[in-house]
Amino acid sequence: MQAEARLLSRVLRIGLALAVLGQIAWSFRPEPSNAQADLEVEGRALFEANCSTCHALDATGTVNGPSLQGVGPASVDFMLRTGRMPLANPNDQPQRSEPKFSPDQIDALIAYVASIAPGGEPIPTVDASAGDLALGAQVFLNNCAGCHGAGASGDSVGGGQIAPSLTPADATEIGEAVRVGPGVMPRFGPETIDQQELDSLAAYLLWLRANGNEGGLSLGRVGAVAEGLVAVVVGLGLLVLVLRLTGAKR
Amino acid sequence: MIVRRLVDGVDERLDGTSFIKRNLRKVFPDHWSFMLGELALYSFAMLLLTGTFLSLFFVASPAETVYRGPYAPLQGSDVSLAYESVLRISFEVRAGLVMRQTHHWAALVFVASMTAHLVRVFFTGAFRKPRELSWIIGVTLLVLGIGAGFTGYSLPDDLLSGTGLRIIYSAVLSIPLIGTWLAYLFFGGEFPSAELIPRLFVMHILLIPALLVGALSAHLALVWHQTHTQFRPKGTPEESVTGTPVWPKFALKSVGLAFMTFAVLTALGGLVQINPVWLYGPFVPYSAPSPAQPDFYAGWLEGILRLWPNWEFHLFGHTIGELFLPAVVIPGIIFTVLALWPFIEARATHDTAMHHDAQRPRDVPLRAGIGAAGIAFFVLLMLAGSNDVLAKYLQVEVDTLNGVLRMLLFVVPVLVFAITWSICRDLRARGAAPIARPARVEFRRNAAGGFDETHADGGEPAEPVAATPADGEDP
Amino acid sequence: MKRAERIAATAFVVAIVAALALFVVYVRGDGPRAEGVLLALALGGVGVGLLVWATRLMPHIHDETHPRQATVPTTEAERESAVETVEAGVEEIKRRRFLSRLLVGAAGALGLAALIPIRSLGRSPGDSLFRTKWTSGARLVTVDGTPVTSSTLEVGSFTTVFPEGHEGSSDSQAVLIRVGPDQLQLPPDRLAGAPGGLVAYSKICTHAGCPLGLYLAATHELRCPCHQSTFDVLDGARPVYGPAPKPLPQLPIEIDDTGGLRATGDFTDPVGPSFWEEA
Repeated sequence: MQAEARLLSRVLRIGLALAVLGQIAWSFRPEPSNAQADLEVEGRALFEANCSTCHALDATGTVNGPSLQGVGPASVDFMLRTGRMPLANPNDQPQRSEPKFSPDQIDALIAYVASIAPGGEPIPTVDASAGDLALGAQVFLNNCAGCHGAGASGDSVGGGQIAPSLTPADATEIGEAVRVGPGVMPRFGPETIDQQELDSLAAYLLWLRANGNEGGLSLGRVGAVAEGLVAVVVGLGLLVLVLRLTGAKR
Repeated sequence: MIVRRLVDGVDERLDGTSFIKRNLRKVFPDHWSFMLGELALYSFAMLLLTGTFLSLFFVASPAETVYRGPYAPLQGSDVSLAYESVLRISFEVRAGLVMRQTHHWAALVFVASMTAHLVRVFFTGAFRKPRELSWIIGVTLLVLGIGAGFTGYSLPDDLLSGTGLRIIYSAVLSIPLIGTWLAYLFFGGEFPSAELIPRLFVMHILLIPALLVGALSAHLALVWHQTHTQFRPKGTPEESVTGTPVWPKFALKSVGLAFMTFAVLTALGGLVQINPVWLYGPFVPYSAPSPAQPDFYAGWLEGILRLWPNWEFHLFGHTIGELFLPAVVIPGIIFTVLALWPFIEARATHDTAMHHDAQRPRDVPLRAGIGAAGIAFFVLLMLAGSNDVLAKYLQVEVDTLNGVLRMLLFVVPVLVFAITWSICRDLRARGAAPIARPARVEFRRNAAGGFDETHADGGEPAEPVAATPADGEDP
Repeated sequence: MKRAERIAATAFVVAIVAALALFVVYVRGDGPRAEGVLLALALGGVGVGLLVWATRLMPHIHDETHPRQATVPTTEAERESAVETVEAGVEEIKRRRFLSRLLVGAAGALGLAALIPIRSLGRSPGDSLFRTKWTSGARLVTVDGTPVTSSTLEVGSFTTVFPEGHEGSSDSQAVLIRVGPDQLQLPPDRLAGAPGGLVAYSKICTHAGCPLGLYLAATHELRCPCHQSTFDVLDGARPVYGPAPKPLPQLPIEIDDTGGLRATGDFTDPVGPSFWEEA
């Protein structure tokens, strides 16, 4: 009995020592960085509070929201920084609004989603200042104007979907949308729109915010519908007013 | 002194009688709604002025060149000479952009005021015998105006107008038997051919304006010769016309109106951007921008195309294309019925009399109802023609919107007809004033203890005034 | 000075000043806004002046009532004589029956001759609407001539392709789309022309001929920006919404030894909207 007890005690002691040693060794494990861990911890909290209801705790999706496996940081960043996510009601169309998270919180969420759903498109670097305006205009007219409109003011594309106005989008968001293809939008890989073309596209769209209205009021850049309305209501309207003021009324 | 010699000179050569006196004293009724046609006339004058300026700079050629002008986003792009010249007019020619935009605004206001004028003539029955020819020429002018607008809109060779041309080409192609030949002859071959821009240019600055000026002269000559219809003042005979003499009052007023029209058009031209072709980019056959709408006067045609079901007919190994009915037959029927309306109405009412009095819409409730229903129909079609833009602003699904519009197209005109018809009947039954003015009556107690009644405003009771029952029968 | 007269005078002064200012603006090249506003002021000044003058300062010119000369009917005798004059002329021409028939013949011949210039307006359609520039073995290239390979497109992307040597061609334009390899629901013979989920259709809408600019990747639909015809890419580009009456013709393609894409023939049907000669 004595011997058995001593043996047991030794085993326990060695086990304990091993456990302690292991614990110490574990704490010296090669970690990515403390910052990254903190980011993921913060991201996890945010994800569980804001995203997991629809996308599930493990980001594999529920009936209310798609799986996030493989979507990648570009997509997550795009949805969050343009305020499209989180949705108050999972049946709503995601639309641009004030972002709900600070840039740091968004970084945390991207880090966390990347840890539980790896892969996908990385956030593209877009440098509008390296772009060429003329190339950008060409890329835009050939690939984007069909849905977003020649004036980038957006249009409805059927199925209840709206190709949004591109005026508020910054260079990174433009790049993310091109590479990811959010919603019903098709994605454009580097084989279709290369880095130089992407930079140029951003350059043109940023230029378009403040330029291109040499003719005066832009009327929302929706073209003939607004022009016709102005011609009838303002043009003909003013002239009929003149007629009413100067002609007999009975 | 000069006037005297001028008058003598004209008098000796043109007519021994009082030609000048007669025509200077000619009178025009001055109800405001009778001047809508003048707005169209003066918009047309502005079109000729600005158009002449533009034609000095426009190059009607599809030949390729590389853009090297000041508009940065297109520098180095392959563009046609036509497109390049429009950019040059817009950005390099002094006052070119204001001229170009004024020209385009004038085109829209031209067609809009012609339409308003047509509506006025319709509702007042001013097209009735003996003025049917004026009406037909007027409808012709409207068609020519739309044609002038469309050919002009297509000249800059930009992406948006190229899409419009392609639709017209497809519509011509759909005509049975001769469609392909017609399309190839008219467009110079399979779309897009190199012949197109020069041909459109000749049509836009020569053929159509010549026809317009001719038809316009005939229209004005007829009005001058036949005199206006009028809301006849009380106490004047029907075989008379009352109004302001041409010289000097009406002339001054009319010239003043011309200048006001010019002022509104140039203000729009300077302040409000129209058809920014630099944003649309040069025409390429493999791209289409959106929203892709034509100018507003073709909006109802676009609406028919968007709502029409996808019916296609196959017979004896041939195909009648989907576009044939909505793009060729329906517009053809609409314009034919419009042009022949005076005869249709005269036949329906067995009316062969001469008419010089303008009617108020309520005098003929049935016609007023038909007219109002027609307006509702066209407005709905124009909404359908801009359904994608509407859907964007209303935040609704464009396909749902189409379904709703299709239904409304059958319901609304009928409702509008019924409402207009019954309102007009009520108004007509009540007499002249929309709401019969109650006669002001004073009651005064008399010596016998009863009441004497006197009419305070000259003893005029609320009786129907100026209604013209003789020609006011329902059609 | 009456109030109306003051207004008219002011308007004319505004017109004069604006017209002079317009001269300065024009020389300096200040752009459309200044030009438009000054033009409007100059023209509108004259307009307001004239209108106020005519309507407010000419009250002593009253409306006049005149008889309508045009409506005095001609007498029956006058009409009769007009008819007789016309008919007498016709009779005189008809009397020379032989000559008058020849005249009709000459007019008809001239009319036929006048058709010649019309004929020269365009060439004969022939079978040009039935074929495009695509031939068996033609390489698929983008608009700038870059050859397209099986790796150019990722799933969910699309691009516009042309036969090599005919970049930008109107009737040959096709849209190449990549979907998941098992998603296409085509009959076997058509599926053979769509290797690896790469499928090509004519880019010209079968309704009114607009290029199909919109690809809704999530629902695999091609949509026309002009009249919203919608085609199901997975199901042979069958029209699922809108006025288009028939599917988009498919361009059969294959992947060659180097991974490049080539057509194996022309489109399965004539491209674009229907026309009479089409079966």
